[in-house]
Amino acid sequence: MRQDELERTLRDALCREVEATAARLTGLEDRVIADLGDRAPRLGVYGWLRRLLAPSPGARWAQAAILGATAAVFLIVGFWIGAERAPSDPADLRAASRFTAASAPVNDERVLFVLPALNAKSVSVVGSFSDWEAVPLADEDGDGIWTARLPLPPGRYEYAFVIDGRWWGQDPLADGYVKSFGEYSSVRYVGGGGDGA
Amino acid sequence: MGTEEAEASVYRVQDEVSLLRASLAGETAAWGEIVTRYKDAVFGLCLGFLRSPADAEDITHDAFIRAYDNLRRYNLEKRFSTWLFTIAANLCRNRLRYRRNHPVVEPEFESSGGCDPAAAIAREERQNRVRDGLTRLPYGYRAPLVLRYYNDLSYREISEVLAIPEGTVKTRIHRAKAMLKDLIGPVGVIDHETG
Repeated sequence: MRQDELERTLRDALCREVEATAARLTGLEDRVIADLGDRAPRLGVYGWLRRLLAPSPGARWAQAAILGATAAVFLIVGFWIGAERAPSDPADLRAASRFTAASAPVNDERVLFVLPALNAKSVSVVGSFSDWEAVPLADEDGDGIWTARLPLPPGRYEYAFVIDGRWWGQDPLADGYVKSFGEYSSVRYVGGGGDGA
Repeated sequence: MGTEEAEASVYRVQDEVSLLRASLAGETAAWGEIVTRYKDAVFGLCLGFLRSPADAEDITHDAFIRAYDNLRRYNLEKRFSTWLFTIAANLCRNRLRYRRNHPVVEPEFESSGGCDPAAAIAREERQNRVRDGLTRLPYGYRAPLVLRYYNDLSYREISEVLAIPEGTVKTRIHRAKAMLKDLIGPVGVIDHETG
């Protein structure tokens, strides 16, 4: 069979095959429309994004809802991390709260670091202000509240406590936290500066 | 004329882009007109791929549903038929995979009879042999052949639909035709009839 003849026969065969069975397609439109019901084409991820960014009143509500939900998620995750890493003993927490006011930088720029650790044998603070060398905290009256007052120039400092050799990166009184190499560190701003560390 | 019928007649005269825009707005009647325009082409593709009228009917229906659901992914600047055929081809491929694990009875095609039996005997015989040969071709060779000779797609469009390089499409079509010749040729009836 010649090439062109094969092609023509193939074309004819396929067309005839469809013609012979095309009765099956009767009413297909109605079946498709019935199955679709009242639904519109799906929006998809980009569609949802476009809708969210569109300047319509409905979109603003959606934007507000998404922002609210995102904020809620961050809050929940933050509380969860805090609960995991912060002291869980109520006595410790009460003690810590007594020092909230005192934790702010004092006028002479001697910054107070305080941590309740009732049964600890040694507590120190390491940070960018000391090239991550340990600076010991003291508990002179034995009440489990460990403190150190360090003279720091204005700036941003990352630090962590070390309790009996164990890293304690999340100071409840810190201004923020950062995570590097799988460990949290606390962040504190002294004198409103941001270029210290 | 009823409301639905009047609505359908309005869509009947609209161009494809208008119909697609209306469909995007959720007007399923506009999509119905798209189905009318493309159902033969999609069914032919599915029948060619699957070699089973019942499966082809199912997949044609599913292809139009899926295409509607995903219509926002379609780029209006591209050819709609190519996009639609891609969806149908993917569904066919899935059905063939399913069939591999769930074998079915070989499909039987109804004889068309023809309007002039005496004159059409030789042609009918040739077409039957080609259809049988097509059924015996591996899917990878059958699919580009159907898209080329039933759906009239270019090599580039076939490569888009089947997600294979254009060079591979050309090679497969060339080999598919050679295989088809081998499959229908040994009896020698066709050459004698037509030669």
